[in-house]
Amino acid sequence: MRYSPGMEKLTVDTLRTLARAQGLELTDAELAALLPLVEGGRQSLAAIRDLPVESEPASQFRIF
Amino acid sequence: MTELARMIAGKKVSPVEVVQAHLDRIAAIDGKLKSYITVMGDSALAAARAAEAAVQSGASLGPLHGVPVGLKDLYCTKGVKTTGGSKLLGEWVPAEDATVTARLAAAGAICLGKLNMHEFAYGPEGLNPHYGTPWNPWDVATHRICGGSSSGSGASVAAGICPGALGSDTGGSIRIPASLCGLSGIKPTYGRVSRAGVLPLAWSMDHVGPMCRSAADCALMLAPMAGYDPRDPTTSVLPVPNYGAALSGQVKGLRIGLLRTFFLESAGAVQRAALEAAAKLLEGQGATVEPVDLKKVDLAPAVSHAVLAPEAYAYHEEWLKTRAAEYGPDVRERLRLGAFVTGAEYLKGQRLRALLRDEVDQAFAKLDVLLAPTTPVEATAVGQNEVRIGDGTFPVRPTLIRYTRPFNLTGHPAASVPCGFTAEGLPIGLQIVGRPFDEATVLRVADAYQRLTDWHTRRAPLGG
Repeated sequence: MRYSPGMEKLTVDTLRTLARAQGLELTDAELAALLPLVEGGRQSLAAIRDLPVESEPASQFRIF
Repeated sequence: MTELARMIAGKKVSPVEVVQAHLDRIAAIDGKLKSYITVMGDSALAAARAAEAAVQSGASLGPLHGVPVGLKDLYCTKGVKTTGGSKLLGEWVPAEDATVTARLAAAGAICLGKLNMHEFAYGPEGLNPHYGTPWNPWDVATHRICGGSSSGSGASVAAGICPGALGSDTGGSIRIPASLCGLSGIKPTYGRVSRAGVLPLAWSMDHVGPMCRSAADCALMLAPMAGYDPRDPTTSVLPVPNYGAALSGQVKGLRIGLLRTFFLESAGAVQRAALEAAAKLLEGQGATVEPVDLKKVDLAPAVSHAVLAPEAYAYHEEWLKTRAAEYGPDVRERLRLGAFVTGAEYLKGQRLRALLRDEVDQAFAKLDVLLAPTTPVEATAVGQNEVRIGDGTFPVRPTLIRYTRPFNLTGHPAASVPCGFTAEGLPIGLQIVGRPFDEATVLRVADAYQRLTDWHTRRAPLGG
């Protein structure tokens, strides 16, 4: 389910498949409402996906 | 709160009278305000009677002895329902107190009740379809948002029906309602205050802290809450300083950074002018002020989505599969988004988060605090989805959290205090960010500013 920047536009049907893979059964209306939000999220994540980063995940934050 | 605690300890006012007066005001105005989900009248009065007896007997008193407080309804309260602002937990009664609930009680505070909020803390407007959306007390005529998610905390303190309240802050949920309701609030450093017994939104971004009328009140309330808790493995073992003693009123020699790009330059004109005036005022007291740019901060929205959405989804996953209809529509959709973020994306977010944190730490190598607007805009009307800033139109939700969210990702302490009003009489907030675990300096600057200004002493027309 990793989206590449060039991946074709999501549709309600592809979103249904992705949702089912997570165990979520959504109606057509729910999928249609969710679609633009997921698209927005994909665009947001695409902006950071290929940024180079050397650091480890910040799994701990401020426990000095 | 500070004055109230002093008057109670000095036997100038009775805790019973104080609690009863607050309960009477709640009964009178909270029908419109909708700031409380549960009012704990009987237990509050019983605690007040015990507090009064302790005062009369000359017993040793805690710093908040007899002072009423309110808790955002995601703090577990033993024997009292804790809804998280949801119908899903509408009848849930915890068997234990949250650590901070117990610590405030041990300090002598009396809980007036559980405060309204955006459902499961997942929204910066403070809307609630189940218990009603709290009314911002600064506009009697128009139903404006209080900011969220701690909207009931903001409304109740601003309206004077709660002297101090607890909020929680995952993207700005203490600072945004503090800004929009004309209050002082502080999000402490991640790890400074225990999250044990607090319903999570996103474990690695959640912070808990107080919302009060003044920075001095925040210092009074934060002190007994802070410190290591074996129930929360992310709390720090660092000692908690005396926040009250830090409030010297002095800023001479402090080095202040004015956050420019991403922050000041995208704010509304009135917010920008208020921030510049605040910086000038502090400069006039002997602080040095210089502009600062955080070059990586524009990654914050994407990094936040990568981290927050899957953490929130993980907590709610089972309910989303079995009880989805019980969520409000906006929160249900937002939670479902987390199902479409991969593990690799989550970890990319956490890796980039370390870069953001390091960049802010580097700024603090030569500065003591950073200043920014708390929000780019003032309180919008309930139901308003877009807002104008300059020549542009922007969606309300991401606009509200634009300046606060970066410091949930980095974990730095950050406060908001009132720094002006719009022409319509709506409050404007000044955000003060500090070094890790240096809440004392953040509160010192906030308090010094409040000794020079009277914004925080003004009262909202609804309640006040």
